[in-house]
Amino acid sequence: MSGQYHRSHRWAWFFERPGYLLFMVRELTCFFVGGYLVVLLVTLGKLAGGGETALVEWLASVSGPWWLTAHLVALVAAVWHTVTWFGAVPQAMPIYLGENRLPAPIAAIVMGYGPWLTVTAVILWWVLR
Amino acid sequence: MDVKDTVMLEIFRYHPETDSEPRFQSYEVPYNEDWVVLDAINWIKDHVDGSLTHRWSCRMGVCGSCGMMVNGEPKLTCAAFLKDYYPFGIKVEPLVNFAVERDLVVDMDGFMDKLQEVKPYIIRDDVNDTSEGEYRQSPAQLAQYKQYSMCINCMLCYAACPVAGHEDEFLGPAALALGHRYNKDSRDQGQAERLDVMLAGEAIWGCTFVGECTVVCPKHVDPAGAIQQAKAMAAQEYFKGFVMPKGTGVSKGADG
Repeated sequence: MSGQYHRSHRWAWFFERPGYLLFMVRELTCFFVGGYLVVLLVTLGKLAGGGETALVEWLASVSGPWWLTAHLVALVAAVWHTVTWFGAVPQAMPIYLGENRLPAPIAAIVMGYGPWLTVTAVILWWVLR
Repeated sequence: MDVKDTVMLEIFRYHPETDSEPRFQSYEVPYNEDWVVLDAINWIKDHVDGSLTHRWSCRMGVCGSCGMMVNGEPKLTCAAFLKDYYPFGIKVEPLVNFAVERDLVVDMDGFMDKLQEVKPYIIRDDVNDTSEGEYRQSPAQLAQYKQYSMCINCMLCYAACPVAGHEDEFLGPAALALGHRYNKDSRDQGQAERLDVMLAGEAIWGCTFVGECTVVCPKHVDPAGAIQQAKAMAAQEYFKGFVMPKGTGVSKGADG
């Protein structure tokens, strides 16, 4: 219809609401998770291709202050990514017991934190045994 | 009028016959602790400026007509109390992500079209005669969709959704939540028809789960959750389509 006023799109829309900014932070954490995955794959490649010597050399080369800082940032980003998605799981996958919906915090533990901690504990046991 | 007992409203004005650009106009309104922003707007229209145009009806959070941006936040103005803003000024604008018809009134046509696309009503392949009685439903089956049936079509979720403002193909939070509401209804048999619409282009996949639609929903519908569930359902049906003839993949068991 003529005469309508169309407001222009805002390129910096993600600054308009705290929720938008948190969304962008959540999405951007995937780059850190992906980056760390590359580091892990290279590490596995060194181990598979060159054996222990190549692995030790590679680990020494990624142990400087900048690399440690990068690891720390990637860890924080990965934890944030994980926590925010676990928080979203009860919305996307509700569990009903009869006519009652499992409360979100319990559903997050059942479907997120519980399996996460279990798998982590199993890996730690396997590595440290 | 005692200045301590007033509140300033800055209101978006746009009259297409005279304005090429919108403007803001300030009004001093009596402060009453029991008043909501809608009361203040009605007072302006009744006592100061009859040309101010806005939508409202029930004044009790049911009709969904009076949604506007209040200090940048999508709100039902009948549920936004002046005391929550006093003594500071209040800026009132039409819902964002919609074209403005006049002052605080937005064009709802696009939303209504999208709502119709998801067929928000019960579809039956086999319609029982009324003599056979109602389609029975257990409390557990009702619980599957009840939350999503509380939508009042106020469109606040569209104003909060950054995708709705940028992607025309996206059906948007309320329409998708209502589509999901009927897909989860044990009496309904129209899931395949709705999923055809939802799976097309960016209709549902445009949603990136920002989640602000759920934050602003005055009826706690959780459209973001409904959309993610609908995505999972749509993906499931898509893959079922490779191995099963169309129309046989949808089963609503005892729990919906």
